[in-house]
Amino acid sequence: MIINMENITKSFGSNEVLKQVTLTIKGGDICALLGENGAGKSTLMNILGGVHQMDSGTISIDGKHVEFNQPKQSQEVGIAFIHQELNLINDLPIYENMFLGRELLTKRGRLDLEKMYGETEKMFQKMKIDLDPNTMVRDLDSSYKQIVEICRAMMTNASIIIMDEPTTSLTDQETERVFDMMRTLRDHNVGIIFISHKLNEVIEVCNRYVVLRDGHLVADGNVCEITIPDLARLMVGHEVRSELLRRNLYLGDELLRVEGLTSYPFFKDINLSIQAGEIVGVTGLLGDGRSELFQSIFGAIRIISGQMFLNEKVVNIKSPTQALEEGIAYLPRNRKENAIIKDMDIFENASIVTWPLFSRRGLINRKKHEETFAEQRNTLKLKMGNLTDNISSLSGGNQQKVVLAKWLAANPKLLILDNPTQGVDVGAKEDIYDIIHQLAEQNIAVVVLSSEAQEIMRVCDRTLVMYHGVIQGELTGEKMNEHNIMTLATGGQLT
Amino acid sequence: MVNSKNQGFIVWFKQKWTNGPLFSTAIALIIMIIVQTLVLGFDYDSFGEWFHSWLNNWINILRNNAGTGIVALGMTFVIMTGGIDLAVGSTLVATGAFSMILLNTGSQGLLGGIGLTGAPAIIVTILLVLLLGYLLGSLIGLSITKGKVPPFIATLGAMMIFRSVTQHFMQGYNTTIPMEFLQVASFKMGNYMLMPIIYWAVIAYILYYVSKRTTFGRQIIAVGSNEKAAKLSGVNVEKVKLRVYMLMGVLVSIASIIQVSRIGSMDFSNAGRGMEMDAIAAAVVGGTSMSGGRGLILGTVYGMLIIAVMNNLLNLFGVPPFLREAFKGLIVIAAVLLQKKEKTS
Repeated sequence: MIINMENITKSFGSNEVLKQVTLTIKGGDICALLGENGAGKSTLMNILGGVHQMDSGTISIDGKHVEFNQPKQSQEVGIAFIHQELNLINDLPIYENMFLGRELLTKRGRLDLEKMYGETEKMFQKMKIDLDPNTMVRDLDSSYKQIVEICRAMMTNASIIIMDEPTTSLTDQETERVFDMMRTLRDHNVGIIFISHKLNEVIEVCNRYVVLRDGHLVADGNVCEITIPDLARLMVGHEVRSELLRRNLYLGDELLRVEGLTSYPFFKDINLSIQAGEIVGVTGLLGDGRSELFQSIFGAIRIISGQMFLNEKVVNIKSPTQALEEGIAYLPRNRKENAIIKDMDIFENASIVTWPLFSRRGLINRKKHEETFAEQRNTLKLKMGNLTDNISSLSGGNQQKVVLAKWLAANPKLLILDNPTQGVDVGAKEDIYDIIHQLAEQNIAVVVLSSEAQEIMRVCDRTLVMYHGVIQGELTGEKMNEHNIMTLATGGQLT
Repeated sequence: MVNSKNQGFIVWFKQKWTNGPLFSTAIALIIMIIVQTLVLGFDYDSFGEWFHSWLNNWINILRNNAGTGIVALGMTFVIMTGGIDLAVGSTLVATGAFSMILLNTGSQGLLGGIGLTGAPAIIVTILLVLLLGYLLGSLIGLSITKGKVPPFIATLGAMMIFRSVTQHFMQGYNTTIPMEFLQVASFKMGNYMLMPIIYWAVIAYILYYVSKRTTFGRQIIAVGSNEKAAKLSGVNVEKVKLRVYMLMGVLVSIASIIQVSRIGSMDFSNAGRGMEMDAIAAAVVGGTSMSGGRGLILGTVYGMLIIAVMNNLLNLFGVPPFLREAFKGLIVIAAVLLQKKEKTS
């Protein structure tokens, strides 16, 4: 199957998102679709998936002109779209989700649960996935949801599969499993369009790449002929740094110490100490409990036992509100679910944390917020329209900067960043790294939680590696390398 | 030239229609007021007389809907946090009954019993009734926040409990309210009884200000739109929710005071029945999203007025009483159909 998209143009309001984009996808290709957030990747794929309609241009399949007004029409010709936001029904078991919208019926018109269960089980066996098809989707973590989605697309016998950042929430091991699936599909002459920000994954699994920048298609070629730095440069339009960020360390006094912190089943008996002005990386694989550990330091998860000291004083933080008063800030993972309030504008999203702090008798001090925000807009290199534009009008990177701004406005002493560069483009990533270093120089302790070893190595002074709820090891300086991190993260010991 | 001017208007109108959340509601209200004015028979020759009856009609509309209008304002906040309050009618009855027990001029009157009469008695009554509304609201709020009972269930339960308990204890309780108390709502300014309208307007203004300018008002939106993100931003989600139900209780008790002081008595089995639905309808017509996060105090005022003018029109047209509810239902659905839809992209 060959899909030809020619001269596709699309605008949202006055914002022209796609400008005369021409793209060809063949069966047997794994084609990486690259670009910064806001470059138009998702829009282009939404047009191919029938979610959006193009303003002008043509789509043809095997030479025949087609038109997609609804997702269903696109699915019927064999295009499966795995959206970034997962489209699974939480309250149905996996096997019913697999057949959603095309349920198998018995002769008498009832749901053929046994057959659907069996088919799902077969598919899982084929894909070597260790999951009970009877599990409720609600009980799966996001990586397994992703895997179920991919299996569902495969069950429709699609000949082109679009994957919109499928690996963002997956561990390396799971990612590898997904890649294996993709390779198998490629060998069966299925075409895959793979949207990802992780360039090393692109190099690993794709054979073709196309790059979008500001709605233009700027590059199209074979992956074997290009390097990661070149790809990054094509995406951003200028040179990208990749060297490690190092600085002179001036550590202050001990800011935070926890002793024997336990919260079953997330983590147990955690001891750690963080100094002012230090950048501490915490990493591990899925289920390591790092998010939960720092969420409980932030008061969002109850601690069962253990003690916490801030500036040598015992504190007992029970809620995020209290943590905020103590000068602890937490930028959560999964921005869309945990950090962005979509019914509020940019300004309100940027000021929500400091409303109570700056208010007088409950009244919002708009002027003070505006001043604070204007300052941060510069330091954060925030690209945005009006303060009153909706937060969703911003690209992922800029949304993340707004979330960062709201916490910085509160002048935290300890800033916890959970996956700060999730869904953030290359340029904004560098900005965020710079900000982290600036903050550390202002004597703020920064904790960076990340599953990307590369990121941890580039930004942090010291790394804690967690495994199944315990700190497996601590790495500094030369020892902070990918091999050591992986060894500890998988439960091994350093020799 | 004329053509391009026209197009400019159409573009402007379209943009307003899709982007201004209150625009379509306001247009609907204006159209209904025009229809109503026409139906009342605009008569240029005897303008003074016509205006007088028009004004009277309006004062009636506003006064009759002030109580529900005030409750609808609180309901807007409740719905904006993603909750709902079905207990408003029953809270109305409970607080109303309490005010009567306090004020009764007969031997059973509580305040009369301790020798408190006149203006002090009225002030104490009002304060105590507001306090009861606050306490009943807190009770609901606590079961929702601390007890983690879904708002629908918590208030459904409260709805049954409050009314049933009130009816039981108020059996055969005959009350006479002192005349002075009636002044609270029936005080005449010139020839018009404007007090309920003034209460409504003042409360609407205060709540409008609260929703736009205060931490509490904006936190309501945050909680309703994305509770998790609000919590992780240091918003005390439980406190916000609790306060919303407390506020609701206080507003209901104000509505209750207005009702008691207007009529001088209260029918404990029927008063406030369906009030929760009217309040919800007003909020929804005014653009409040049932899933929380979006809502406008001004919109709810418009919504209440649309429903009120509608009732008035049906009255003027002589539509049979049983059919009127159907029109109300149509208005609610039509309003939501016309409103700006959530983008599905």
